[in-house]
Amino acid sequence: MRLRAEYRIGPELKFLANLDMMNVIGRTLRRAAIPYALSEGFNPHIKLSLGTVLPVGLWGEKEYFDLELTMPVETASFIVAMNNAFPSAITIKNCIPIDNRTPSLMKVINSASYTFKLCSGGINLDSWREEFLSRKSLVVKSRGKKKDLDKDLRPGIFRIDVNNSQDFDIINMWVSSGETINVRYDELNDILMATGIDKQNIQDVYRSGNYIKHGAEFFSPLEQVN
Amino acid sequence: MSHIGGKILYGLVNETSNHLIERVFAPWPDMEDIMRKERIPLFSLESFRPLTDFDVVGFSLQYELSITNVLNMLDMAGIPVWSEDRDEKYPLVIAGGPVVFNPEPYADFFDAFLIGDGEEVLLEFLDCYDQNQDIPRQDLLIKLAQIEGVYVPSLYTVEYNADNTFRAIEPRYPEVPTRVKKRVIKSLDTAYYPDKPILPYMEIIHDRAVLEVMRGCQRGCRFCHAGIVYRPVRERSIDTLKRQARAQLENTGYEEISLASLSTLDYTGVNKLVKELVEEYGDKGIGVSLPSLRVDAFSIDLANEVQKVRKTTLTLAPEAGTQRLRDVINKNVTDEQLFRAVEAAFKSGWLSVKLYFMIGLPSETLEDLDGILELLQKVKAIGDNYARKPVEVRASLASFVPKAHTPFQWYAQDSSAEVEEKQHHMMKSRKKRIKVSFHDSQTSYLEGVMARGDRQLSKAIFRAWSKGCKFDGWSEYFRSDWWAEAMQESGIDPDFYTHRSRSYDEVFPWDFIDIGVNKDFLQRENEKALQVTTSPDCRVEGCSGCGICPNFEVDLDIRGAN
Repeated sequence: MRLRAEYRIGPELKFLANLDMMNVIGRTLRRAAIPYALSEGFNPHIKLSLGTVLPVGLWGEKEYFDLELTMPVETASFIVAMNNAFPSAITIKNCIPIDNRTPSLMKVINSASYTFKLCSGGINLDSWREEFLSRKSLVVKSRGKKKDLDKDLRPGIFRIDVNNSQDFDIINMWVSSGETINVRYDELNDILMATGIDKQNIQDVYRSGNYIKHGAEFFSPLEQVN
Repeated sequence: MSHIGGKILYGLVNETSNHLIERVFAPWPDMEDIMRKERIPLFSLESFRPLTDFDVVGFSLQYELSITNVLNMLDMAGIPVWSEDRDEKYPLVIAGGPVVFNPEPYADFFDAFLIGDGEEVLLEFLDCYDQNQDIPRQDLLIKLAQIEGVYVPSLYTVEYNADNTFRAIEPRYPEVPTRVKKRVIKSLDTAYYPDKPILPYMEIIHDRAVLEVMRGCQRGCRFCHAGIVYRPVRERSIDTLKRQARAQLENTGYEEISLASLSTLDYTGVNKLVKELVEEYGDKGIGVSLPSLRVDAFSIDLANEVQKVRKTTLTLAPEAGTQRLRDVINKNVTDEQLFRAVEAAFKSGWLSVKLYFMIGLPSETLEDLDGILELLQKVKAIGDNYARKPVEVRASLASFVPKAHTPFQWYAQDSSAEVEEKQHHMMKSRKKRIKVSFHDSQTSYLEGVMARGDRQLSKAIFRAWSKGCKFDGWSEYFRSDWWAEAMQESGIDPDFYTHRSRSYDEVFPWDFIDIGVNKDFLQRENEKALQVTTSPDCRVEGCSGCGICPNFEVDLDIRGAN
């Protein structure tokens, strides 16, 4: 049996690296006595795969993992058992059984949304957004593997929502992830700086979702499993 | 975070007493810089409270050279480093661990040392503190000093002879004992052991469930400090260990169980325990690991049974290159056993073997050093004969440091120059795919100064730290030049402590620490070393008369076989 779970990893654990996250989930599976399946071979490991890597320094509202089990388990009881065993900063919010042929998260997740929480009273975000989206290109120095090459983020930025409240402002950006254009959050950060957002004003950044984008629509990996 | 002793004391205090214990570690220098710049005092990891909020600050001294880190941590916490500068408003600063079996070099920095098995004495110490909080510090210290296993250095006067050797240590109050007896847990089987250790998110060294299968080792290797000071051997029963394994795995979710002790293959129940743990947890992908292997084919067979032993590198410790020298140090291993072990290993898939040796052992000659090289070549030849591709042989050569309370405590340690000459000699005849690496001779030298040092060293330690010495165990931070200056400015000749052989009638600064093993036994063992005679393990061939059992009214506690 295969399961796909959606979980939240809170700000307390934003410095956890991907491998550490795998360890936390693995250890939680063992504590919760979940009948996880093991890979064959000399050094067996749990058949667990995470979606796109959550960057160190960010917490995540909707992250995903797929897990293979040796016997059927009720999703509701899986959620309860795991949440009892997880550290309090991690919670499984939803979980569905998936087919063995369902393509892996890594293959299907092609976009993500990042949320920037700013101190209120900075620049006018509505006009910032309009100006931002009207640009034909947004070039940054690429981070990561192809370091310092010029990279145009604009084709990878699909949608921006802004929200003003009394206490803080919110920028929510839907961007491309994966093979075609991978927009990294630190590159987004650079582009925000370059377009007039004051670094000092950014209070928090987190990944608010991972999506499967079809045309103009964003589906959650729990909605699109085939 | 990896240290079992720390986990035991942490659980013991928090789970079984009304006291509270929290953790603090030395921050890495980059973090220290920021903390000092921002004026953030060193704080505990649990409640973020500065150390000055605590009643007692305790250090586990695992290695002689960690002392500068202790001073640095106290300083970062705003606690005066000299015990005489601390009054009632500061915490009591205490220490335990293997290093404090010779506490004298650090005596002026600590209010008290807890000597022996910590779980046996710590709660008694804390209770006594708790009941006497309101009395003057000096009176409190006198009360604490009356607890067996507690040494309060400020309550003793120390005298030296004209030639600077140690003459005597005398208590300044009648209530204070003249000898400080180490504490011993009689039954490890019923002793506290944590079922729910802290599980860090980040990877730590030894990131696995650890079972302490036994404490002590009676093989009697003559260079070995732990093998003497942690006597007698006390084993846990297989039932207890299996229950502890289950509890730890349920609470942590660890994917590996490690069987820890000074010599796990000597645990009488090792075969049965390994077999039963593999049976019970193997299909869950939980493996068993053996941290150290004895040099014989039996241990390879056992290692082959253990799942998840990645056949990358096999580590064995013959310690010396010739049979003669192995007999001198009482490392009862023959060439034949070693060759059979590596043959078994290479036949069953290992491709690389690492061997531990020491250089500078008593009576060592160039022949013994060449013996190491010959041994390595033979091991390589066996490997190339039996393995599917050319094998790699690595040798790690530590410098022998004579330690207090061992049969070799009377010996002169090689000077750095001698060690380097020997290293040079060995590097002359290097062979392909045989790699030889050495421990830093300067570090070992300083370790030697501390290991058999006395109270006069404290001013040099203080000076070295004042010059910026810290993380001395890390080669990128170790500054032998600052240490040399500090010694010189303090009027200390380090060779006096290392490069000087002692006579049997010399009184040692650590003699008043009663470890249960008699000094005349150590002397006898040293005499046997001179005659190249071995001593058997007392579990196998009867009592060797070390004294621990009658002196401490304890007994070998062998439980694994039942």
